Amino acid sequence: MIKDQIRNLKNEAVGEILEAKSLQELEKIRVIFLGRSGKINALTKEIPKLPADERGGIGKLINETKKTIEEVLSQTQNKLTKTDRKTEWIDVTAPGIKPPEGHLHLITEAISEISSIFASLGFHRARYPEVEWDWYSFEGLNMGENHPARDEWETFFIEGLENQKYGKGILTPHTSSGQLREMERYTPPLRMLNIAKCYRRQSDMSHAPMFYQFEGLVVDKNINISHLKGTIDYFTKQYFGPDRKSRIRPFHFQFTEPSFEVDVTCLICHGKGCRTCKEGWMELGGSGMVHPKVLKNGGIDPEKYSGFAFGWGVERVLMMKYGINDIRLLFEGDLRFLKQF
Amino acid sequence: MNIQISDSWLREFLETKATPSQIAEYLSLCSQSVGKLIKDEKETVYDIEITTNRPDCLSVYGIARELSAILPRFEINARLKEIPVAKIPKVKSGFPLQVKISKTELCPRFTALVFDNVIIKPSPLSVRKRLENSGIRALNNVVDISNYLMLELGQPMHTFDYDKILKHKMFLRESKEGEEIITLDGQRRKLKEGIIVIEDGEGRIVDLCGIMGGKNSETDKNTKRVLLFVQTYNPMKIRKACQALGFRTEAASRFEKGLDPEGVIPAMERATLLFKEWCGGKVGNELTDIYPSPPKPKTVIVTKVKIDTIMGINIKLEDAKKFLDNLGFKTKIDAKTNSLTAEVPHWRNGDIEIPEDLIEEIARLYGYHNLPNTLPPISSLNYQKEATFEWEDKIKTALKYWGFTETVSYSMARKDLIHNPADHLKISNPLTEDLLYLRTSLIPSLLEVISKNPTEEGIKIFEMANAYLPRGKKELPLETMTLTLAVKGESKYLEVKGILDALLKELGITKFSIKPEKFPSLNYGAQIFIGETNIGIIGEVVSPELTRFGINQKVTVLDIQLNRLLSFATHAKGYIPLPKYPPIIEDLSFVFPPQTFIGPIIEEIKKINEIIKEVEFIDSYQNTRTFRITYQSQERNLTDSEIKSIRKKIIDFVSAKFRAQVKEAL
Repeated sequence: MIKDQIRNLKNEAVGEILEAKSLQELEKIRVIFLGRSGKINALTKEIPKLPADERGGIGKLINETKKTIEEVLSQTQNKLTKTDRKTEWIDVTAPGIKPPEGHLHLITEAISEISSIFASLGFHRARYPEVEWDWYSFEGLNMGENHPARDEWETFFIEGLENQKYGKGILTPHTSSGQLREMERYTPPLRMLNIAKCYRRQSDMSHAPMFYQFEGLVVDKNINISHLKGTIDYFTKQYFGPDRKSRIRPFHFQFTEPSFEVDVTCLICHGKGCRTCKEGWMELGGSGMVHPKVLKNGGIDPEKYSGFAFGWGVERVLMMKYGINDIRLLFEGDLRFLKQF
Repeated sequence: MNIQISDSWLREFLETKATPSQIAEYLSLCSQSVGKLIKDEKETVYDIEITTNRPDCLSVYGIARELSAILPRFEINARLKEIPVAKIPKVKSGFPLQVKISKTELCPRFTALVFDNVIIKPSPLSVRKRLENSGIRALNNVVDISNYLMLELGQPMHTFDYDKILKHKMFLRESKEGEEIITLDGQRRKLKEGIIVIEDGEGRIVDLCGIMGGKNSETDKNTKRVLLFVQTYNPMKIRKACQALGFRTEAASRFEKGLDPEGVIPAMERATLLFKEWCGGKVGNELTDIYPSPPKPKTVIVTKVKIDTIMGINIKLEDAKKFLDNLGFKTKIDAKTNSLTAEVPHWRNGDIEIPEDLIEEIARLYGYHNLPNTLPPISSLNYQKEATFEWEDKIKTALKYWGFTETVSYSMARKDLIHNPADHLKISNPLTEDLLYLRTSLIPSLLEVISKNPTEEGIKIFEMANAYLPRGKKELPLETMTLTLAVKGESKYLEVKGILDALLKELGITKFSIKPEKFPSLNYGAQIFIGETNIGIIGEVVSPELTRFGINQKVTVLDIQLNRLLSFATHAKGYIPLPKYPPIIEDLSFVFPPQTFIGPIIEEIKKINEIIKEVEFIDSYQNTRTFRITYQSQERNLTDSEIKSIRKKIIDFVSAKFRAQVKEAL
């Protein structure tokens, strides 16, 4: 009786194995017959119920059956492995199945790129408070409360926030506040790249009330104007392209002396002069040699050390690079825009 | 501040063969920036941006003076011409004026002169054209003289009708709270305390000094005698007055930067000539000139070492001296100390203070474009590696590849976007009401982005930005870097939870726990803990909140305090020797009472025996939950009987502790 069962099982298994068309099908069959709860195991469980003298023989028979099934299975598996590839037709012209598609914000991309360019010159990244005391943003930068130069930085004030020592609480209108913070935190030589949000009471195509700046600060012995020029030139060639030229020209900031405005040759007309630029040049932003008073306010002896600094708009450089004409697009959260990058 | 000046006007003071475009280029390179050249067939107009420290350049003459020093550096001859003036005659009797000044510091120099026989008519055409090119409307010859000379010499002046100054008396003083004046533009202006004004002999305010004259004393077509006023004022007072009044004139913009009192007399003499030529006016009394304390000449010393250090080249003191002298300094070389002593010209008194100021003059005339480009050498750097930025980049990049789009929104929010305005920092001078409070959470910002993109399906967005948590009135707020994710769509909870799992794994964090908690604005709210530290929350935004934003699909959010999370982040990964013995894997299914949390079950099963290497939750159907258990030993092959006893322990434990019933294994 049980012998018939075993024989039937063997035939059934071998039959199904030979019929199998794919490796997946074969695996299913294996589980049915040889799996832990498979049919062979089920039969094995019957053995103890048999009369003692039959157990040995049946056990042997089950083992042989198992072996046979395994052999056929393995042969068929070999055969299928060789032929399986060709059975399924793949339309090579059909669109592929894409991984999920996400997008980093343009500002994030620009910050990464800028950071890595300056990292290669040994600049370390920093980020200082956005809500800041007047001292760090103005007074300590040689700009007293009634200085006309302050008009350039239309500043947001925080209601009721004031400190006896540091003055009023404001939203910092530039990353230059990080100069004093950095000087307080480390001793020279300094090589800082402070990237942070800044705020000014302005809103038009090229100004948003919130924007990012990146501020470079180098303080060491014998730092001079040519170092500033060299650093600017390295950055503009890396970021905008090797055929870009840069120049500095006189400007005025209270916290640098001398101060400069930095220009890059226009990306559109390549320096020939066009409607979007000034006689072939585009303004990148301000820079200068750190004012001795600022060094002093930061606890650094201006007789021993000198330094340069620059602070430019992240959006400004990326808008120049990508030809985006309205800065406010960057902050409006329009996914049709954000998904372009 | 920008000024526009006509080329022909400039050449009245500068003899040069330089072309307008050469002038524009070299002026930009060495001094003030020329933004644009505006040309028509007869005239070229320079639009020049003048920096706040150089009020001496806010004039045709000032620019000519700069160019006379700059152009020779480009091998172009240039000579500064004399200002055509008429000497002021000493007139004994005539039209008197009595002047009193309450405090000397209000007005460093006060001059006034009466012109008699003035005939009011239009100015010459060429004058009107030049004024127009500079953006000023021509009115009549008298008013035009004051505007013309403001542009030409940088010194604002004012003309009164002499006969409208009652009793011919003037008293210059600070205003009192509540006083009023109707200015030339017809506006009635209420004054605060401390604004410089002039009252006449009848106590009428006739001038808002340095800003705008009074209507009651203006010149008109019947004017016969003009009182010309040329002054310098305390710049701070003018600036504060403009701020208090909320308006600013071109004259005020100049006064608040500080003008040269030595420039007053040349301006007066120049005006005397123009009054004669354009209006037929004759000087009608003695010049009033109140100038109690003329500034002493200032000298600044700079060493060659310092010049070379800042410029980065070796510069000859003789060259440096020449540059400074051409700009009007009187310079001496001191061979002993190897330094320069420079006497500052009076028109630069306001901006030359320290050696660095002289270096700027020397360097810009040497030409910044002639300095080399050199990278600064690194002697040493003391910075410790700061991993925060790398982690942030890693997280953003991971989210991008998991299908998320990054948004950047304003740090400020409008009132109805936030919950408890009192717990937020508020901007006292907002640009718009939309940007009023500093956000303490990014969730409203992300909801707003979702609401702005109603047609977009399956939105997955994140933002990483500071939240601003107030710490009282004397301390800056805590700025905490926050990562917030939002996913729009039905049943996204576990997808978002999966992002959390994967994110923590990326940061090398394997152990964390989720504690369900009630939040007013979240369904299925839960706090996320690493050890004892709460690093954030997860949940589904409640419907009323979604309605407020006009969102008609579910939104699941994950909000993480990044600084807390990153304090656990690590690159260190422990090495576990690869297993030598095969694992045994089996699935176990249980039926649980409704709403049994699965997290603790997985944790508990893992604790039962050390050979339970992994417990995965693989399937869920009604109240049945299926777990895939991996048994593996590092030391030996596992036997059936060994597994059997552990399996029994699992079943007994889960059944007892979670009131579950095991389903037979397949």
